[in-house]
Amino acid sequence: MITLLVFALFAVLALVAAVLVVVQKNVMHSVLYLAFAVLATAGVFFTLGAEYLGAIQILVYAGGIVVLYIFVIVIVNLKEVVPERRPLLPTVFLVAVPVATGLEVAYLLLAKGFPAAGRAGEGLGFGTLAETLFRSYLLPFELASILLLAVLVGAVIIARKKLVHDPD
Amino acid sequence: MIPIEAVISLGLLLFAVGFVGVVVRKNLVVMLMSLELLLNGANIILAGLGRRLGSPRGSIFALFVVMMAVSEAAVGFALILAYVRRKKSYDVDALDDLKG
Repeated sequence: MITLLVFALFAVLALVAAVLVVVQKNVMHSVLYLAFAVLATAGVFFTLGAEYLGAIQILVYAGGIVVLYIFVIVIVNLKEVVPERRPLLPTVFLVAVPVATGLEVAYLLLAKGFPAAGRAGEGLGFGTLAETLFRSYLLPFELASILLLAVLVGAVIIARKKLVHDPD
Repeated sequence: MIPIEAVISLGLLLFAVGFVGVVVRKNLVVMLMSLELLLNGANIILAGLGRRLGSPRGSIFALFVVMMAVSEAAVGFALILAYVRRKKSYDVDALDDLKG
Protein backbone atom coordinates (compact mmCIF):
# COMPACT_ATOMS: atom_id res chain seq x y z
CA MET A 1 0.00 0.00 0.00
CA ILE A 2 2.70 2.43 1.04
CA THR A 3 4.70 1.42 -2.06
CA LEU A 4 1.71 2.25 -4.21
CA LEU A 5 1.38 5.68 -2.60
CA VAL A 6 5.07 6.43 -3.11
CA PHE A 7 4.81 5.21 -6.70
CA ALA A 8 1.81 7.49 -7.32
CA LEU A 9 3.65 10.46 -5.80
CA PHE A 10 6.72 9.96 -7.99
CA ALA A 11 4.57 9.26 -11.05
CA VAL A 12 2.67 12.53 -10.65
CA LEU A 13 5.91 14.42 -10.03
CA ALA A 14 7.53 12.93 -13.13
CA LEU A 15 4.55 13.70 -15.35
CA VAL A 16 4.16 17.28 -14.13
CA ALA A 17 7.89 17.94 -14.48
CA ALA A 18 7.86 16.42 -17.98
CA VAL A 19 5.03 18.71 -19.06
CA LEU A 20 6.88 21.69 -17.60
CA VAL A 21 10.05 20.74 -19.53
CA VAL A 22 8.11 20.94 -22.76
CA VAL A 23 6.20 24.17 -22.08
CA GLN A 24 8.98 26.35 -20.61
CA LYS A 25 10.17 29.28 -22.72
CA ASN A 26 13.55 29.60 -21.01
CA VAL A 27 15.95 26.73 -21.78
CA MET A 28 17.60 26.87 -18.34
CA HIS A 29 14.24 26.37 -16.62
CA SER A 30 13.61 23.42 -18.92
CA VAL A 31 16.89 21.84 -17.84
CA LEU A 32 16.04 22.24 -14.16
CA TYR A 33 12.64 20.62 -14.69
CA LEU A 34 14.36 17.86 -16.66
CA ALA A 35 16.57 17.16 -13.62
CA PHE A 36 13.41 17.03 -11.52
CA ALA A 37 11.69 14.64 -13.94
CA VAL A 38 14.77 12.40 -14.07
CA LEU A 39 15.03 12.17 -10.29
CA ALA A 40 11.30 11.44 -10.01
CA THR A 41 11.76 8.67 -12.58
CA ALA A 42 14.58 7.28 -10.44
CA GLY A 43 12.09 7.22 -7.56
CA VAL A 44 9.67 5.26 -9.76
CA PHE A 45 12.45 2.76 -10.51
CA PHE A 46 13.13 2.33 -6.80
CA THR A 47 9.47 1.62 -6.06
CA LEU A 48 9.45 -0.89 -8.93
CA GLY A 49 12.28 -2.79 -7.27
CA ALA A 50 14.80 -1.90 -9.98
CA GLU A 51 17.35 -0.42 -7.58
CA TYR A 52 20.25 -0.82 -9.97
CA LEU A 53 18.39 1.05 -12.67
CA GLY A 54 17.46 3.82 -10.22
CA ALA A 55 21.07 4.25 -9.16
CA ILE A 56 22.20 4.31 -12.80
CA GLN A 57 19.47 6.84 -13.54
CA ILE A 58 20.70 9.18 -10.80
CA LEU A 59 24.38 8.73 -11.69
CA VAL A 60 24.14 8.90 -15.47
CA TYR A 61 21.14 11.16 -16.07
CA ALA A 62 21.16 13.56 -13.13
CA GLY A 63 24.93 13.49 -12.73
CA GLY A 64 25.96 13.29 -16.37
CA ILE A 65 23.42 14.28 -18.96
CA VAL A 66 21.79 17.16 -17.07
CA VAL A 67 25.20 18.60 -16.21
CA LEU A 68 26.16 18.26 -19.89
CA TYR A 69 23.04 20.21 -20.87
CA ILE A 70 23.84 22.96 -18.37
CA PHE A 71 27.46 23.12 -19.58
CA VAL A 72 26.44 23.45 -23.21
CA ILE A 73 23.89 26.16 -22.44
CA VAL A 74 26.45 28.07 -20.38
CA ILE A 75 29.24 27.62 -22.96
CA VAL A 76 27.10 28.73 -25.87
CA ASN A 77 25.54 31.47 -23.71
CA LEU A 78 22.89 32.19 -26.27
CA LYS A 79 20.04 33.96 -24.50
CA GLU A 80 17.70 33.36 -27.35
CA VAL A 81 14.01 32.67 -26.96
CA VAL A 82 13.08 30.74 -30.07
CA PRO A 83 9.66 31.90 -31.28
CA GLU A 84 7.08 29.18 -31.80
CA ARG A 85 5.78 30.42 -35.10
CA ARG A 86 3.61 27.46 -36.00
CA PRO A 87 -0.07 28.30 -36.55
CA LEU A 88 -2.52 27.30 -33.84
CA LEU A 89 -4.34 24.51 -35.65
CA PRO A 90 -1.28 22.37 -36.51
CA THR A 91 0.02 22.89 -32.98
CA VAL A 92 -3.25 21.68 -31.47
CA PHE A 93 -3.21 18.71 -33.83
CA LEU A 94 0.41 17.81 -33.01
CA VAL A 95 -0.26 18.01 -29.27
CA ALA A 96 -3.65 16.31 -29.29
CA VAL A 97 -2.83 13.24 -31.39
CA PRO A 98 0.02 11.78 -29.26
CA VAL A 99 -1.62 12.71 -25.96
CA ALA A 100 -5.00 11.31 -27.02
CA THR A 101 -3.37 8.11 -28.26
CA GLY A 102 -1.46 7.68 -24.99
CA LEU A 103 -4.57 8.36 -22.93
CA GLU A 104 -6.62 5.94 -24.99
CA VAL A 105 -4.15 3.09 -24.64
CA ALA A 106 -3.79 3.84 -20.92
CA TYR A 107 -7.58 3.83 -20.53
CA LEU A 108 -7.91 0.53 -22.39
CA LEU A 109 -5.16 -1.00 -20.24
CA LEU A 110 -6.75 0.18 -17.01
CA ALA A 111 -10.21 -0.94 -18.13
CA LYS A 112 -9.34 -4.35 -19.61
CA GLY A 113 -6.23 -5.27 -17.68
CA PHE A 114 -2.87 -6.44 -18.98
CA PRO A 115 -2.80 -10.02 -20.27
CA ALA A 116 -1.36 -12.43 -17.78
CA ALA A 117 1.99 -14.02 -18.57
CA GLY A 118 3.99 -16.81 -17.02
CA ARG A 119 6.71 -15.80 -14.62
CA ALA A 120 10.26 -16.46 -15.69
CA GLY A 121 11.19 -17.00 -12.04
CA GLU A 122 14.79 -15.95 -12.52
CA GLY A 123 14.80 -13.65 -9.50
CA LEU A 124 15.45 -9.95 -9.44
CA GLY A 125 18.52 -9.56 -7.24
CA PHE A 126 21.79 -7.93 -8.15
CA GLY A 127 23.48 -11.31 -8.48
CA THR A 128 20.94 -12.58 -11.00
CA LEU A 129 21.12 -9.33 -12.92
CA ALA A 130 24.90 -9.43 -13.15
CA GLU A 131 24.93 -13.12 -14.09
CA THR A 132 22.33 -12.67 -16.83
CA LEU A 133 24.04 -9.55 -18.14
CA PHE A 134 27.44 -11.18 -18.45
CA ARG A 135 26.20 -14.60 -19.54
CA SER A 136 23.42 -13.93 -22.03
CA TYR A 137 24.17 -10.35 -23.03
CA LEU A 138 27.97 -10.25 -23.14
CA LEU A 139 28.18 -9.45 -26.85
CA PRO A 140 25.71 -6.50 -26.71
CA PHE A 141 27.56 -5.26 -23.64
CA GLU A 142 30.87 -5.21 -25.47
CA LEU A 143 29.23 -3.65 -28.52
CA ALA A 144 27.88 -0.92 -26.26
CA SER A 145 31.39 -0.19 -25.02
CA ILE A 146 32.57 0.12 -28.63
CA LEU A 147 29.62 2.43 -29.32
CA LEU A 148 30.60 4.63 -26.38
CA LEU A 149 34.20 4.83 -27.63
CA ALA A 150 32.97 5.81 -31.10
CA VAL A 151 30.70 8.44 -29.53
CA LEU A 152 33.63 9.85 -27.55
CA VAL A 153 35.76 10.23 -30.67
CA GLY A 154 32.90 11.43 -32.85
CA ALA A 155 31.71 14.07 -30.41
CA VAL A 156 35.21 15.50 -30.05
CA ILE A 157 35.67 15.66 -33.82
CA ILE A 158 32.25 17.21 -34.51
CA ALA A 159 32.47 19.80 -31.74
CA ARG A 160 36.01 20.88 -32.64
CA LYS A 161 36.28 24.53 -33.63
CA LYS A 162 38.11 24.18 -36.92
CA LEU A 163 39.14 21.24 -38.99
CA VAL A 164 42.88 20.80 -38.65
CA HIS A 165 44.52 21.06 -42.04
CA ASP A 166 46.24 17.78 -42.67
CA PRO A 167 49.03 18.03 -45.27
CA ASP A 168 49.03 14.26 -45.95
CA MET B 1 1.92 -4.18 -5.03
CA ILE B 2 1.93 -1.78 -7.97
CA PRO B 3 -0.44 -2.81 -10.79
CA ILE B 4 1.40 -3.25 -14.09
CA GLU B 5 -1.34 -1.29 -15.86
CA ALA B 6 -0.45 1.84 -13.88
CA VAL B 7 3.24 1.44 -14.69
CA ILE B 8 2.60 1.03 -18.41
CA SER B 9 0.19 3.97 -18.41
CA LEU B 10 2.79 6.18 -16.75
CA GLY B 11 5.42 5.14 -19.27
CA LEU B 12 3.04 5.75 -22.16
CA LEU B 13 2.06 9.21 -20.94
CA LEU B 14 5.69 10.19 -20.36
CA PHE B 15 6.46 8.94 -23.87
CA ALA B 16 3.57 10.97 -25.29
CA VAL B 17 4.71 14.15 -23.52
CA GLY B 18 8.26 13.64 -24.80
CA PHE B 19 6.96 13.00 -28.32
CA VAL B 20 4.91 16.20 -28.22
CA GLY B 21 8.03 18.09 -27.14
CA VAL B 22 10.07 16.68 -30.03
CA VAL B 23 7.39 17.41 -32.62
CA VAL B 24 6.09 20.79 -31.48
CA ARG B 25 9.03 22.75 -30.08
CA LYS B 26 11.40 24.63 -32.38
CA ASN B 27 14.25 24.95 -29.89
CA LEU B 28 16.98 22.36 -30.57
CA VAL B 29 17.97 21.95 -26.92
CA VAL B 30 14.40 21.44 -25.76
CA MET B 31 13.90 18.89 -28.54
CA LEU B 32 16.88 16.87 -27.27
CA MET B 33 15.56 17.10 -23.71
CA SER B 34 12.19 15.79 -24.85
CA LEU B 35 14.01 12.84 -26.44
CA GLU B 36 15.43 12.01 -23.01
CA LEU B 37 11.91 12.09 -21.54
CA LEU B 38 10.75 9.74 -24.28
CA LEU B 39 13.49 7.22 -23.49
CA ASN B 40 12.66 7.52 -19.79
CA GLY B 41 9.08 6.52 -20.51
CA ALA B 42 10.28 3.43 -22.39
CA ASN B 43 12.60 2.58 -19.48
CA ILE B 44 9.76 2.71 -16.97
CA ILE B 45 7.75 0.23 -19.04
CA LEU B 46 10.78 -2.07 -19.36
CA ALA B 47 11.45 -2.01 -15.62
CA GLY B 48 7.78 -2.67 -14.80
CA LEU B 49 7.52 -5.60 -17.21
CA GLY B 50 10.78 -7.09 -15.96
CA ARG B 51 9.44 -7.01 -12.45
CA ARG B 52 6.13 -8.55 -13.46
CA LEU B 53 7.88 -11.40 -15.25
CA GLY B 54 10.27 -11.88 -12.34
CA SER B 55 13.26 -11.51 -14.63
CA PRO B 56 16.26 -9.17 -14.62
CA ARG B 57 16.08 -8.83 -18.40
CA GLY B 58 13.85 -5.77 -18.19
CA SER B 59 16.48 -3.92 -16.20
CA ILE B 60 19.19 -5.10 -18.59
CA PHE B 61 17.34 -3.80 -21.63
CA ALA B 62 16.69 -0.52 -19.83
CA LEU B 63 20.43 -0.36 -19.10
CA PHE B 64 21.16 -0.61 -22.82
CA VAL B 65 18.56 2.09 -23.48
CA VAL B 66 20.40 4.34 -20.99
CA MET B 67 23.67 3.72 -22.86
CA MET B 68 21.96 4.71 -26.11
CA ALA B 69 20.56 7.83 -24.45
CA VAL B 70 24.02 8.87 -23.29
CA SER B 71 25.50 8.37 -26.75
CA GLU B 72 22.64 10.31 -28.30
CA ALA B 73 23.04 13.18 -25.84
CA ALA B 74 26.81 13.44 -26.40
CA VAL B 75 26.65 13.38 -30.20
CA GLY B 76 23.57 15.59 -30.20
CA PHE B 77 25.36 18.22 -28.17
CA ALA B 78 28.38 18.14 -30.42
CA LEU B 79 26.02 18.72 -33.34
CA ILE B 80 24.25 21.55 -31.50
CA LEU B 81 27.60 23.22 -30.78
CA ALA B 82 28.61 23.00 -34.44
CA TYR B 83 25.18 24.25 -35.50
CA VAL B 84 25.18 27.22 -33.11
CA ARG B 85 28.67 28.19 -34.30
CA ARG B 86 27.38 28.34 -37.87
CA LYS B 87 23.95 29.86 -37.36
CA LYS B 88 24.21 31.67 -34.00
CA SER B 89 20.78 30.32 -33.14
CA TYR B 90 18.96 27.37 -31.55
CA ASP B 91 16.11 27.68 -33.99
CA VAL B 92 15.48 24.64 -36.19
CA ASP B 93 13.81 26.88 -38.77
CA ALA B 94 17.25 28.33 -39.54
CA LEU B 95 18.16 24.92 -41.00
CA ASP B 96 16.88 25.62 -44.50
CA ASP B 97 20.12 25.46 -46.48
CA LEU B 98 18.73 22.80 -48.81
CA LYS B 99 15.50 24.64 -49.50
CA GLY B 100 15.11 25.20 -53.23
